[in-house]
Amino acid sequence: MNKFYHTLKTIFLLGWSIFVVFPFLWALSTSFKDANAITSGATYIPWVDFEPSTQGWTSLFTTGSRGINIIGPFIDSAAVTLIASLVSLILGTLAAYGLSRFEYRLGFVKNADITFFFISQRIMPPIVLAIPFFLMLKELGALDTIFGLVLVYVALLLPIAVWVMTDFFAGIPKELDEMAMTDGCTPIGAFFRVILPNSVPGLVVAGMFCLIFGWNDFFFAFTLTFTETQLLPVSIVSLNSSVTPWWSLSAFALISVAPLALVAVVVERYMSRGTMSGAIR
Amino acid sequence: MLSSKHFFLLPALLTLVAIILFPLLFTVRVSFSSWDVFQSGLDFIGGRNYVRVFEDDRFWQSLQRLSLLSIISVSLQYTLGFALALAVWKQVRGGRLLRVLFLIPMMTTPVVMSVIWRTVFHESLGPVNDILSVFGVGPVPWLSSAMGAFISVLIVEVWQWTPFMFLLLLAGLVSLPKEPYLAAAIDGAGTWRTFWQVTFPLMAPITIGALIIRLIEASKIMDTVYVLTSGGPGTATETSSYYIYIRGLRDFQIGYSAALSLVYLVIMVISLTIIAKLLLRMLVGRDE
Amino acid sequence: MLQIDHLTTADAKVSLDDVSFLFEAGNIYTILGRTGAGKTELLRALMGLNPLTDGEVKLDKENITKRPIRDRNMSLVYQQFINYPHLSVLDNVAFPLRRQGKKKAQAQALASTMLGTVGLGDFLHRRPSQLSGGQQQRVALARAMVKQSSILMLDEPLANLDYKLREQLREEFPRLVSDNEESVILYTTTEPREAMELGNTMIVMHDGKIIASGAPADLFANPPTKDTASVISDPPISFISGFVSNKTLYFGEGQIAPSDGLQLPPDGPVTIALRPNAIERGGDFSAKIGLSEFSGSQTIIHLDFAFGRAIMMVDGIEAFNSGDDLRISIQAEQMMLFAPDGRNITIRDNQDG
Repeated sequence: MNKFYHTLKTIFLLGWSIFVVFPFLWALSTSFKDANAITSGATYIPWVDFEPSTQGWTSLFTTGSRGINIIGPFIDSAAVTLIASLVSLILGTLAAYGLSRFEYRLGFVKNADITFFFISQRIMPPIVLAIPFFLMLKELGALDTIFGLVLVYVALLLPIAVWVMTDFFAGIPKELDEMAMTDGCTPIGAFFRVILPNSVPGLVVAGMFCLIFGWNDFFFAFTLTFTETQLLPVSIVSLNSSVTPWWSLSAFALISVAPLALVAVVVERYMSRGTMSGAIR
Repeated sequence: MLSSKHFFLLPALLTLVAIILFPLLFTVRVSFSSWDVFQSGLDFIGGRNYVRVFEDDRFWQSLQRLSLLSIISVSLQYTLGFALALAVWKQVRGGRLLRVLFLIPMMTTPVVMSVIWRTVFHESLGPVNDILSVFGVGPVPWLSSAMGAFISVLIVEVWQWTPFMFLLLLAGLVSLPKEPYLAAAIDGAGTWRTFWQVTFPLMAPITIGALIIRLIEASKIMDTVYVLTSGGPGTATETSSYYIYIRGLRDFQIGYSAALSLVYLVIMVISLTIIAKLLLRMLVGRDE
Repeated sequence: MLQIDHLTTADAKVSLDDVSFLFEAGNIYTILGRTGAGKTELLRALMGLNPLTDGEVKLDKENITKRPIRDRNMSLVYQQFINYPHLSVLDNVAFPLRRQGKKKAQAQALASTMLGTVGLGDFLHRRPSQLSGGQQQRVALARAMVKQSSILMLDEPLANLDYKLREQLREEFPRLVSDNEESVILYTTTEPREAMELGNTMIVMHDGKIIASGAPADLFANPPTKDTASVISDPPISFISGFVSNKTLYFGEGQIAPSDGLQLPPDGPVTIALRPNAIERGGDFSAKIGLSEFSGSQTIIHLDFAFGRAIMMVDGIEAFNSGDDLRISIQAEQMMLFAPDGRNITIRDNQDG
């Protein structure tokens, strides 16, 4: 590669890296500011530009009128996301395996149509379902509960799990299932004893996507919960509209995006191995 | 055989049908009712809500705005994502670090980041105008002018979702066959020609998939707008989802918003199907 | 004993067409056919992996056509080396025994013995992916044999191996199955030599049908049809069209062909089959040399005649120039004749009956 290209590439990568990191650094810096440091205009480097203060961080763990409770929403978010992801992964993996190995027929509906039905749910704008979900959960007495949100999130995440796992199973030779059956397994036994133990890469990728989309949802949490159950995105938005100071807001935001930022490390590993190429046609 | 085959599919299928299909059918029924703050319950008023949808300029404008926003942001995401993927594809030194870094934005919660972006774009206290002022530009009314708000939303969308394009395209690049590159090298094709004659055609299927997925997701934009601009100033950044949300869950015009959301869904499905077909014809040259 | 009656399948690519046969226990049957002849489909149909549209499978007189795969008491070795990637070599081989309900220790003991037999005693705790192709196929073989099922099927087990490993495993194969008395062994291959070497009985398949069966040497010497002869193509066999007129055999263009010792059919077209041993150097015919290649200690020469093409072999390594003329003779006693409908109509004077 010639020098011109190389320089161009370096500038581009550097520029983009700064763009990516900028909001995080800004939030980090802001989280250590106090009122003086903020109202005097944009400041960046602690000790140089402003005198750092830890009140943004301590306020998150203080109870009472001056504090903002982040622990409750964090636990609720984690519970809803983990349970919904797990349920979606289990149901989705089973369905994807079925669709990749057996022939289903219901009138003119065949495997491809069923797969499409699953995946096409991603096209559904949340707003279309918001009102019926609201009324449905009200009927079930599940408004403002973790259970209600899990139910809704499963519908949201199931298509993702089916989508990733269908492609994954398509890449596992059918001979492996057949071999298990000739060796004395039932079709269900073949799945659990042979296919599932060999599906870890697919399960990881599907699981990651479920976690990302579950953890980051705002709309349903916003419309279907109020006070009893509160997830992180909803809490921060309600803080945002009140008079919450920037330092608390920034600290809160950083804590709430931190767990998933770690997911990037895992996703990168699978992407570079090429395990993920099958995930998209 | 019969039972085991159903053991796999039925739990997921029934769950999805129960959670999605019934609410959807219910929405259809509600859209023919006058359910609102004053009158709750299912009466039947025929297609009056739908007639109202077609006369509702604010809805059609939101749809135009949404199309513009989706197409511009997805094009930018694709171009930048592809460029980034190509740039780190064969990067050995620091490659891993860059890849992880570039993926992080898509892992973060859009509304949470929007809260931060709001402070970033703040006209007097935010860093963007501060930095611009060094170059003698500004102050730019980022969130209080129509143009500024639109561009802000665009920047946030690009920041958040370019990583998704990057992810899919890099995963595609990693699994490309080696032979065509050898052939191109033997033919003496340069970097530029190799890209257009080898890489780009080989990546066409993934390109189509990635574009469609992103367009689908972009057509639902609402979180970012809600936090960043609340659709404003005025209705300058109001997307369809957000408008329907206002009608349905803020004004509580349940029947009317049901009709709006169904019209919106149908338009989405039709236009995305057309776009998918066009992309297939353009990039792969086949009709299916 | 395995009996199949009128097996018919409706697979999209290759389907079985009314296949019947009786397999006796203690025998090794090699099934020879080209790619797409239906060999794999036959094994899969027996195993219950491909649905039948018609026909029955009987194992020791018991109809097992509808029996689930796991209860069929059959084992199968695939052409691709299919093993369980998540299990060690030992657990791979113990897997079927565990499914039969054997205790872990017992299953592992039996598996370990079997792995010793196939020469993998030192690799018990490796993963299959850490082994060479040949070793992986040995694991698959051990797993198939350890079950001691009544039917052992091997679907081109050597096809995906390197030449050397293939030769090695092929030489060992008779020893591995030498103490077999109770099971039927089915072994498919596209290679005539392998089929003739390994089987007591050779079955020739073509277009989804069994077109010939019998002792390998008999089938080689007297293939009943032209299709059979063409499938048994090692050493290569060449077909030249000709005709009989007035008690004389002619090659296609009207050149008189040798027919000493052959009883010629009535006037009409025939197909003349030449194996390399029917052609010798020096003689009345002139041929142009096409390609020449070395195979072991022999040289294979592709010849172009005025009336067709044939292949001859010369002992020793010798360079021939493409395009040169070569004088050759054709030995009538090594020729075979086939009728237009494909029947073998070779009758020799000295032949009884």
